[in-house]
Amino acid sequence: MSTAEMARAVEAFILREARLLDRGEFEAWLELYAPQGIYWMPSQPHQTDPLGVPSIMYEDHAILSMRVQRLLEARALVLTPMPRTTHLVSNIEVEDTDGDEISAQAAFICVEHQGERQRMFSGRHAYQFARENGSLRIKMKRVDLLNCDGVHAPITIPL
Amino acid sequence: MQDGASLSNEEIRDLVRPDHVHRRAYVDPAIFDLELERIFGRLWIYVAHESQLKKPGDFVRTSLAGNEVLITRDEAGQIRALYNRCPHRGARICMVDHGSSRLFSCPYHAWVFRPDGSLATVPHRKSYPANFDLDDPQNHMQPAGQVATYRGFVFANLAENPPPLAEHLGPMTEVIDNLVDRAPDGEVDLAEAGFILEYRGNWKLHMENAADIFHPSFVHNSSVSPARKAPPKASIIDQDQTREMMLANGFGIKEWEGIQLTGFAGGHSSMKSFYNSGVLVHEDADPVAVRYKAALDERLGPERAAAVLAMRGFNNIVYPNLILNAQYQQMRVVIPLAVDRTLVHIRCFRLKGAPEEIFHRAVRFLTTLGSPASMIFSDDVEMLERCQQGLVSRAGPWIDFSRGLDSDLRDDRGQVSGAASEMPMRVQFKAWVERMTAEAA
Repeated sequence: MSTAEMARAVEAFILREARLLDRGEFEAWLELYAPQGIYWMPSQPHQTDPLGVPSIMYEDHAILSMRVQRLLEARALVLTPMPRTTHLVSNIEVEDTDGDEISAQAAFICVEHQGERQRMFSGRHAYQFARENGSLRIKMKRVDLLNCDGVHAPITIPL
Repeated sequence: MQDGASLSNEEIRDLVRPDHVHRRAYVDPAIFDLELERIFGRLWIYVAHESQLKKPGDFVRTSLAGNEVLITRDEAGQIRALYNRCPHRGARICMVDHGSSRLFSCPYHAWVFRPDGSLATVPHRKSYPANFDLDDPQNHMQPAGQVATYRGFVFANLAENPPPLAEHLGPMTEVIDNLVDRAPDGEVDLAEAGFILEYRGNWKLHMENAADIFHPSFVHNSSVSPARKAPPKASIIDQDQTREMMLANGFGIKEWEGIQLTGFAGGHSSMKSFYNSGVLVHEDADPVAVRYKAALDERLGPERAAAVLAMRGFNNIVYPNLILNAQYQQMRVVIPLAVDRTLVHIRCFRLKGAPEEIFHRAVRFLTTLGSPASMIFSDDVEMLERCQQGLVSRAGPWIDFSRGLDSDLRDDRGQVSGAASEMPMRVQFKAWVERMTAEAA
């Protein structure tokens, strides 16, 4: 695969992730993550330590699976009514397309509507991908929210 | 709604019955104003931890009875509480939450203050009147009441003649003792980062929920059920701690009834722990726990160390707005913003001298239970907001907290104990009435 083809594949992957989240297809969304994949949303700007500094989310496949179950089946009170989202991902830059290590970054806006309230999240994504049998999987997705260290209300749908 | 000044003590007392409370306690802005004045303005309120104020100039910005205050350590080493306002034109001076500065400068006309609040310099001194005096206290950052500490916990009190801090804390000093005694070096540090959540509800709702032993079976079913279906020990990052914490809320009624609650004079209460397995208890086979116990044994001796670790409590309520969990080194500070808006500051502590992994577990606990993305706390927040939304409705003004009223046990020291009881809420409202109707100290 050429560098340009790889860049297009990564872009398509990232946009597909956004679409799966918007459609509430959380099981398919989780499939995008490698078995050792991690979703990390730090609580501090420029945070480097996921263990000694709290994170809004620092979850591997096993914990994300419980989150997906909660989103899909468990009728969480905070998910009643179920929020609707538009995940917009832009400014995608694909890096390091040599070999099996591929990384990318992007900017995002997510608008979430629930009940009487509409909210907006924004920030940057940093992805590390693994290539398994020719297809991409997420090894690490880092979500740096603009207001990561601000005052929060509950966050339910992954960003 | 009535004006706060017109609320008589009799009207306040009439809002609370042995088994019910009037919805007005949660929705009336006049009541809220009185709470700021008579509860948050007269009781000892947690404002900082000494580990944030190690050297002169260190400061923390926080809230005290609706006012923004700076807690500083001055040049003489004394801890001060100061209103964050320039006495000149009234501007806020400090715009960051914590840090260190030997001087606080107002950006408007450059009056410069020392960490004790005194005025160090003003530019173009000769343009002020001849009798303008740098040493005149009215030109200083104004003191926000008195400050006292208990084993590193810094409290401030806006009353003229408050009782000693230890008298207010009463038996809750044991909880602070237990937290600090768990540190092999005999000290705890407040972790720098934490979470701040805002919910659209009255501050008391969170204090009540934190002492409510009966809601988890219902409110937290959405995290219990995925945890039950998940395979054990599948996580590669947290030794199964998140799943164990979510599972623990799945007790049956019988098991919840076995969790002891104790209420104390002054509105405080304690709750026994209900985390019984995995990394949440120090299992013998856990190498981190073995190293930690050895370090604690060395400091305290095995007998005393065992006694410290045997004190297994969960949410301990220090009235009016501090929640401490010593066993897992967790803290919540509940800050009222308006009658229907509240901030919750959620933090954890490092046990100095303990293995680093013990701190990582406290951080994980904080994330699992206190993050805005928590699969547990987010459902609590939803219920607090639904309560507020329901309480706005004028129909049927009384709400119930009678559960356990017939089975609570009372001892001669005024302690009440109960199981599956709403006793902590009754204890909180007993203190509420006392404080709301008391004369200023």
